[in-house]
Amino acid sequence: MSGTFASFNTALSALRYQQTALDTASSNIANSSTAGYVRRRAEAETIGASTQPALWSRSGVGGESVGLAGINRLTDALLDARVRAEHGKQSYLDTRVAVLERVESGIGEPGDTGVSAAIIDFKGAWQDLANSPSNEASRGQVLAQGAALADAVQQQARMLEAEMGDDRARLTAMVDEVSTLAGDLAATNSSIAIAKVNGTDAGVLLDKRDQLALRLSQLTGASATQRSDGGFDVSVGGVALVSGDRAGTFSVVSGIGPGGTGAPPVVLGVTPPGGAAATAVSTSGATGAMVEVLSTTLPAYASELDAVARQLADAVNAQHTAAYDATGTPGQAFFAYDPADPAGSLRVAITSASQVAASAVPGGGRDGSAADTISRSFVAAEASYSRLVNSFGTTVASAGRLATTQRTLTGQVDGAREQLAGVSLDEEMVAMVAAQRAYEAAARLMTTVDSVLDTLINRTGLTR
Amino acid sequence: MTIGRVTQGMLSQRAVGGLQTNLARLAEIQEKLSTGRSINRASDSPTDSTAAMRLTSAVGDAKQHSRNAADALGWLGITDTALQSVSAQLRRASDLAIQGGNAGALSADSREAIAVELEQIRDGLIGVANTQYLDRPVFGGITAGSAAYDASGAFVGEAGAVNRTVGAGAQVRVDVLGPEVFGPAGDTVFDRLTALAGALRSGDTAGVRTGMDEVKASLGRVTGALAEVGTRTNRVESAQRRADDAVITLGSAFKDVAGVDIAATVVDLQMQEVAYQAALGAAARVIQPSLMDFLR
Repeated sequence: MSGTFASFNTALSALRYQQTALDTASSNIANSSTAGYVRRRAEAETIGASTQPALWSRSGVGGESVGLAGINRLTDALLDARVRAEHGKQSYLDTRVAVLERVESGIGEPGDTGVSAAIIDFKGAWQDLANSPSNEASRGQVLAQGAALADAVQQQARMLEAEMGDDRARLTAMVDEVSTLAGDLAATNSSIAIAKVNGTDAGVLLDKRDQLALRLSQLTGASATQRSDGGFDVSVGGVALVSGDRAGTFSVVSGIGPGGTGAPPVVLGVTPPGGAAATAVSTSGATGAMVEVLSTTLPAYASELDAVARQLADAVNAQHTAAYDATGTPGQAFFAYDPADPAGSLRVAITSASQVAASAVPGGGRDGSAADTISRSFVAAEASYSRLVNSFGTTVASAGRLATTQRTLTGQVDGAREQLAGVSLDEEMVAMVAAQRAYEAAARLMTTVDSVLDTLINRTGLTR
Repeated sequence: MTIGRVTQGMLSQRAVGGLQTNLARLAEIQEKLSTGRSINRASDSPTDSTAAMRLTSAVGDAKQHSRNAADALGWLGITDTALQSVSAQLRRASDLAIQGGNAGALSADSREAIAVELEQIRDGLIGVANTQYLDRPVFGGITAGSAAYDASGAFVGEAGAVNRTVGAGAQVRVDVLGPEVFGPAGDTVFDRLTALAGALRSGDTAGVRTGMDEVKASLGRVTGALAEVGTRTNRVESAQRRADDAVITLGSAFKDVAGVDIAATVVDLQMQEVAYQAALGAAARVIQPSLMDFLR
């Protein structure tokens, strides 16, 4: 048999538990759109029945109270790991596509203003000169179109250089962010361990931990493993970056100099907590994409463009020096460039229109056959350029397709995580109403017991 | 994907995602319609953009060939006119020589008159031989000067072919060099006419007869050059027609590859608009209600 006031206590425990349930619902509703928030559930447990039956430690029927077993964060560590992995891949592909698309629109092919249009105009100018070698205007036109072509090539080279400069600055910022995040995660880890020890609810800290780990994965493709004290250990490319409450640093080992200068390849490194030197690592995520773009893709394009510029200039020069200019003297080199940077320094070397060589015979005659030969001399360079542009286009298209495919996959794991951890307002409404009703019923129970006791205490024995 | 539990967050994320996808497609179609090109960057279709760049280049070549052919026709036309006039004047000279050949029937004064006319024909021929096209003497080869023959009838041009590229690898010579028409140095038609006039004045009948034959031979040479110019004109005209045809065919091939099929794209746009409106409607209906509207 329970004690006389046992039902009071049971009702009281119900009031307390339902109060907590209402609190939980309110925090779920309040955070229904907070990024990284994982819904909570107040788990109830029955208390009162003795777990070790003995002579004087018996429970009668009924009278069990309710207690709060704990506030559960509804999440799945394996699913979270999957989310991090997919987001790492996604951000690698997205970053790569963004850079490649910027470069592609800078190239501006096929279009009316790019290098290939300038090549066509240049060819036309030589043909016109072949038709009227005596015409001063035709010579001037050849010079002007040559300068326009050199400008177009230079502009593309400069665009590539500027893009690489921007990307280096962006990568440096990302690398700094990774180090900061690692420090934050280590601090969060230590708070989680303390909260675990003194029994505080660590839910908010765990949300923060998951957020930090996700961002680290997006930036570096880092993998996280859960510690026994609730924190995360994070490693990048197999080297520990965060270990418990200690964080290492992430840095650029080589390839980026001060002031955004740099030469490929770019190498990133991790200095493990307590370590003395950075270990070079290969990363995925946004930094991985930047490293790849800066070390491979853009330098390859730039050197191909250099090859095209060289091929163009050499082909024109070879024919131009074999021809004779307006005064009948042998032609000079038409284009000049710096061998270290052909595309970036391509320019027209001759200065006056009379130096344009159109004649195949010496002596200042009005022969135009050399101009015709020159107009056909850079067909190979034109073909190389169109091959270059289109192989870059293929790269961009395939990167775009990969990113789109990955987006489906990322969307799926995000959906799966949201199914488990997302707040459903309807569900919370139901939980809220249920808690409210249960609270009302417990209060009613208290009134009833009070009235029963009143009868017992105040009315028993009275006959009046 | 099986959905175990649906939350408001999922619904709004999906609604926004769907709207974004629809808007992106709309933007793509809008870009095509407003630029009028289905390939706006190489990655839109790498294969087609290779073709587009090649076609643009080929259209440029064909246009240039057509321009070159027009220029060539100008040269050949002027040359043809000049040769016709030379031929007419030589025929007149030949007639005069036949008149002068009747030595017995003509007085010294009449012979003198014929000789003077022959000399005038000679001077006229030198003028025709210096015919210019765009400031260049058409019989002067590649000379930088403005004349092919000087006043004494000596060739002052520079030998060399003036060619026009009227097709891929097809070059046509558009000039006729002076000596090919008027005879080699020392034995030009001008020299022959002077000699003929001299023979008439001196009453040298045998000399007049020789001169007559020589003028006829010169006339034959001019006729040969005329035929040659006619053949070349034909060749250039057909090359120009080919180039003009190529501009049209290659241009329409370019449109096929890189242009936009307006009708199909507008239909696409309309369909995409409907899809976008449907997505908007679905989002509006799904996001709004909650259990709160029904619990009192």
